[in-house]
Amino acid sequence: MTEAGLRVDHVTKRFGSADTEVVAVRDVSLQVKPGEVVLIMGPSGSGKTTLLLMLGALLKPTEGTIALGDLELSAMSEGKLPDIRLRHFGFIFQDFNLLSALSVQDNVAFAAELTGVSRGVARSKAAALLTELGLDHRLRFPPEKLSGGEKQRVAIARALVNDPALILADEPTANLDSSHGRETMRLLREIAQKRGRSVVIVSHDTRIKEIADRVLWLEDGEFTNAVEMATDPVCGMAVERDVAIAGDRDGQTYYFCARGCRDEFLAGVAGPP
Amino acid sequence: MTGVAGAVPFRSAASALRLGMRNLFQDRLRFALSVAGVGLSLMLVLFMLGIRAGALRSAVVYLDNAPGTVEVLPPGGRSTAAGSAQFLGPETVAAVAGTPGVEAVTPVLLTMGFSDLHGTKAVIKLVGYDAALGGGPWKLASGRVPAADGEVVLDRVLANRHGLGMGDAFEIGGIQLTIVGLSNETSSWTGSYAFVRKGMVEALLLAPGAASFVLVTPEPGTSRDELMARLRAIDGTNVLLKSDVMANDQEVVAGIFDQVILLMVGAAFVVGALVVGMVIYTATNERRAEYGILKAIGARNAVLYRVVACQALVAAGVGSVVGVGFSYAMGWVVMNARPQFLVVIEPPAIGATLAAGVVMALAGGLFPARAAARLEPAEVFRR
Ligand SMILES: Nc1ncnc2c1ncn2[C@@H]1O[C@H](COP(=O)(O)OP(=O)(O)OP(=O)(O)O)[C@@H](O)[C@H]1O
Ligand SMILES: [Mg+2]
Repeated sequence: MTEAGLRVDHVTKRFGSADTEVVAVRDVSLQVKPGEVVLIMGPSGSGKTTLLLMLGALLKPTEGTIALGDLELSAMSEGKLPDIRLRHFGFIFQDFNLLSALSVQDNVAFAAELTGVSRGVARSKAAALLTELGLDHRLRFPPEKLSGGEKQRVAIARALVNDPALILADEPTANLDSSHGRETMRLLREIAQKRGRSVVIVSHDTRIKEIADRVLWLEDGEFTNAVEMATDPVCGMAVERDVAIAGDRDGQTYYFCARGCRDEFLAGVAGPP
Repeated sequence: MTGVAGAVPFRSAASALRLGMRNLFQDRLRFALSVAGVGLSLMLVLFMLGIRAGALRSAVVYLDNAPGTVEVLPPGGRSTAAGSAQFLGPETVAAVAGTPGVEAVTPVLLTMGFSDLHGTKAVIKLVGYDAALGGGPWKLASGRVPAADGEVVLDRVLANRHGLGMGDAFEIGGIQLTIVGLSNETSSWTGSYAFVRKGMVEALLLAPGAASFVLVTPEPGTSRDELMARLRAIDGTNVLLKSDVMANDQEVVAGIFDQVILLMVGAAFVVGALVVGMVIYTATNERRAEYGILKAIGARNAVLYRVVACQALVAAGVGSVVGVGFSYAMGWVVMNARPQFLVVIEPPAIGATLAAGVVMALAGGLFPARAAARLEPAEVFRR
């Protein structure tokens, strides 16, 4: 994995043609760094899912480019995309979408087996991940016997089993009660911090803001400044102006992720951007 | 960043099959229904083929058990299945018997008759034969062969059906006969055999000394071809190998049976394929979301094909085996209830049926498998 993470440049997606044309995503640019949690919010029909599908190589942009490290997804042939998705992306869905005929452990192992590792290796990898996620007592359970939160943890384990660079989640908390939703959010945050994965979440759920490094507002297919963003000049993290810590230097206002960054910056240890 | 892998690895193929099996067995009732559907349709196929094979066998059961390898028929005669109005005259029979290289002759006078039994007409193949020369019943269930005019050996199945036994009277073509023996293996779908002395049939047909055909046993060491040439030289004969006549007899039966049987077999096959197709299609449709997820997380189309196709194959495979079992059971039931029907289930027919089951699975599974492979993975994100 190169340091560059995911890079989206001037991506547009149109559906239909002529008078029935819908522009679902309009000239969107975005970068997601390793370890970063990005939340994309916006009203219904604003193009969130469409954007996420393009990020996950499930949908081709009409215009623009999407690159993961040095892999340019938007230029790849259809036949190569399944393998890219298998090895570099992890998907988490609103409905969990586990395979009902397989046990919890086999659900996770199946995704690993698709890459060609042996069943034994796949199953032990699955067991290890599920244990980390606190599901060691549920390995042999059929998915239907799990609570919503447990199902979503299984889905998270499945998304992680092939060590993807990027986790993509569409409304991961929509079908969960608030405590399970919170637990899922905590896990996603942890995945980014401890494992250095990028996490892109699409959601209506404002609680997710708490764990996001960045919140982007999509409206009518375009990012708007409903949330004004700024970049911390010290650590480079994107911060919301409303909630960030502000500081003035040389007659200009800067925004910081934390007091430490501001103090460092104002003390002149770190230079201006 | 790792490179892009090529074809589906073998291991993921195995896991696809495992998933297919799990999916198939998760809904037991549906699995049972598909097995039953395939089983019943293949039972019908095998049973029809069994009836056909039985009819073919019973069409030649007489010639098969009669002596001789060469058959002399009246001119133009090719088959003994259709009761011929033409006979070989006494001189011809004598000339055949006197031909060099002939070890033995078995002249047979055969006619079809009706017998009124309890108000229903039974078709009787009345065989007139000379006890000294052979051509009589080959397996007696009880009694003895006819020793005098007016005595008859009757097919046991027909006799049983009509409550006839040893010593009972039996009338055919206005002639009164007494049953002195009952024979096995002499019932067929076209009629039951009855055996009397040849003179009785000659009298019935007003054809003294005549024969429907003469079966010839060549002397050992004689060239069969030369003997047949000599027999052909006799005026008013048509000479064939007995095996060829048997083949012709079977052809006549096949001609009557095959179109109907083929139609039924074809229909049963289509029904079976539709059952597999319907069951697997609905099962696949119910799992649209799951299969869409598989594609979204990176399963190739080949994986989806395998997951679905193996379900069709297993359902049809188990159904085929069950179908073979069903058809044996059905044959047994039918032959016990209606012994005049011979149902012969032959190994080649079983092989063909099992193969048909596989083709059925592929035909029925193809459409659902394609539907699964064509699923748009993006669809699972939208509802
Ligand atoms: N396959 C498609 N064909 C035509 N139009 C589409 C298609 N997919 C999405 N759209 C349209 O694109 C727009 C954006 O849809 P999208 O699903 O991305 O919105 P969303 O932000 O995810 O909405 P929601 O919050 O309701 O999930 C909508 O107007 C939708 O109707
Ligand atoms: Mg959506």
